[in-house]
Amino acid sequence: MVGGGLKRKHSDLEEEEEDEKWGWGPAGLRSYQQALLRISLDKVQQSLGPRAPSLRRHVLIHNTLQQLQAALCLAPAPAVPPEPLFLGEEDFSLSTTIGSILRELETSMDETETPQNPVAPPSPQNEVLPQPDPVFLEALSSRYLGDSGLDDFFLDIDTSTVEKEPALAPAEPPHNLFCAPGSWEWNELDHIMEIILGS
Amino acid sequence: MEEDIDTRKINNSFLRDHSYATEADIISTVEFNHTGELLATGDKGGRVVIFQREQESKNQVHRRGEYNVYSTFQSHEPEFDYLKSLEIEEKINKIRWLPQQNAAYFLLSTNDKTVKLWKVSERDKRPEGYNLKDEEGRLRDPATITTLRVPVLRPMDLMVEATPRRVFANAHTYHINSISVNSDYETYMSADDLRINLWNFEITNQSFNIVDIKPANMEELTEVITAAEFHPHHCNTFVYSSSKGTIRLCDMRASALCDRHTKFFEEPEDPSNRSFFSEIISSISDVKFSHSGRYIMTRDYLTVKVWDLNMESRPIETYQVHDYLRSKLCSLYENDCIFDKFECVWNGSDSVIMTGSYNNFFRMFDRNTKRDVTLEASRENSKPRAILKPRKVCVGGKRRKDEISVDSLDFSKKILHTAWHPSENIIAVAATNNLYIFQDKVN
Repeated sequence: MVGGGLKRKHSDLEEEEEDEKWGWGPAGLRSYQQALLRISLDKVQQSLGPRAPSLRRHVLIHNTLQQLQAALCLAPAPAVPPEPLFLGEEDFSLSTTIGSILRELETSMDETETPQNPVAPPSPQNEVLPQPDPVFLEALSSRYLGDSGLDDFFLDIDTSTVEKEPALAPAEPPHNLFCAPGSWEWNELDHIMEIILGS
Repeated sequence: MEEDIDTRKINNSFLRDHSYATEADIISTVEFNHTGELLATGDKGGRVVIFQREQESKNQVHRRGEYNVYSTFQSHEPEFDYLKSLEIEEKINKIRWLPQQNAAYFLLSTNDKTVKLWKVSERDKRPEGYNLKDEEGRLRDPATITTLRVPVLRPMDLMVEATPRRVFANAHTYHINSISVNSDYETYMSADDLRINLWNFEITNQSFNIVDIKPANMEELTEVITAAEFHPHHCNTFVYSSSKGTIRLCDMRASALCDRHTKFFEEPEDPSNRSFFSEIISSISDVKFSHSGRYIMTRDYLTVKVWDLNMESRPIETYQVHDYLRSKLCSLYENDCIFDKFECVWNGSDSVIMTGSYNNFFRMFDRNTKRDVTLEASRENSKPRAILKPRKVCVGGKRRKDEISVDSLDFSKKILHTAWHPSENIIAVAATNNLYIFQDKVN
């Protein structure tokens, strides 16, 4: 899985810096994380259907979202910093969304005192359940994430990596690069946050 | 390992010539009973089909011990929870047999919410010669009865009936993933995502909660129960696995609520393999005690591990099921395959373990010789009674003629459920809506 960078042979691994060997520039990394973020949020939306959602799947996706959130927040301030407020605000917004999703899940799955009689008074249903912020979700699903970057990213998934030796470390981005300096994608993400916070 | 093939399709016969399959026919669980005489399957449509092994006859040596349909019944129906506005699937998640104590067979079957105890019994005699009823069952006019007779039992065509004897309902808020019969044969447990309940077979209106990992604040939830099983010999001991790759062994003598484990099994994480998907692929999808009770086997997304109960720090054996998927985890996350729950099984002597994979492949690992084999359950590639040919996935470089490349794997064909006869080398493999039964080659 190489995001638009150069492919290197195994023998080159020890000689070069990790970030250059995989061709994972800040742009590729950012695309990768955003793609994962979008995929994860899509999954959360899909699972809120007529069937009771799988709690296991939900928890695993939620934990992955938290890791992504942590990775995104750990990135140092971008070269042209917008208001520093955004760093914390983004954190708040993502947590709120994840939190509201789990709260909604709890309300829908929660037991009642007498579960035997399913025709109990439907008062819990009348409450307004917290919904995931639709603007936030839609923004992340929109073109702001740069579909072209995602296409390149997914094109390379299948064939390039399997031609490598099995002993290679998996073709995922090295973890110390999660904190790469900001790029135009970072600014785009800020732009999205601006819209959400403004609404 | 050379094997015969004996294929059974459990669809209605009129579907045999069609290539489509309804979703309701997807097999969701497979289980041999304690003697191996019976094999039960459950499907997504809530049906249970039981196969019985034919008695071996000297006349037909080549037809030794084939499995034929013995009984079919609807175990669970779809339900709707009006309070929560949620559908409850009728899919059978697990079937577990009780040991046979009389002529009848008993099994537990469960969907997401309700466990049922079924009695499967044969009727091959019918009473005839009633005094008050005639042969068609109509009441006779008492005035016409002048003599009394004793009804006699006369043979009739064999009829197999399945009747629900107990229904254990309303005890699980979350989805039941496991049931396990205790070695005392009086109790069993049912486990959902957050809780495990202990039942007595005779009592349906109450159960004991023995494990509860639900946090006070659901937003703090980070781990769920994925599987649970009783020890095969010690009726006070059970294990349960989690979505974080841990196994806890609990002793019910220690306290009523077994929230504190007796043993905690976890392998330290390999930092060089760390990724966003590390936790998801460490989630344990199945846990099984060995027949001896000395070991437990766990299945996570890429491996099968064998643990010694006396060593909690790491497994004693790790087997790679399909490590070539490690570089594809992002795609598998996107298409949801990374959440597939594969089961694993021991053979009767605990020397071989088996688990499924994609492309209708399944894998066997010999713990003694350390040899492993990949086989395929597919009618296109195997004729009945043919020897199964080992398969190989090509992970890089030049693909040999019989190998299949990783990119050609069909991820919609997954073998999640398999079973191994308790004493013989007969295995049952569920491939979507088809059931394959393989036996050792007859010499």
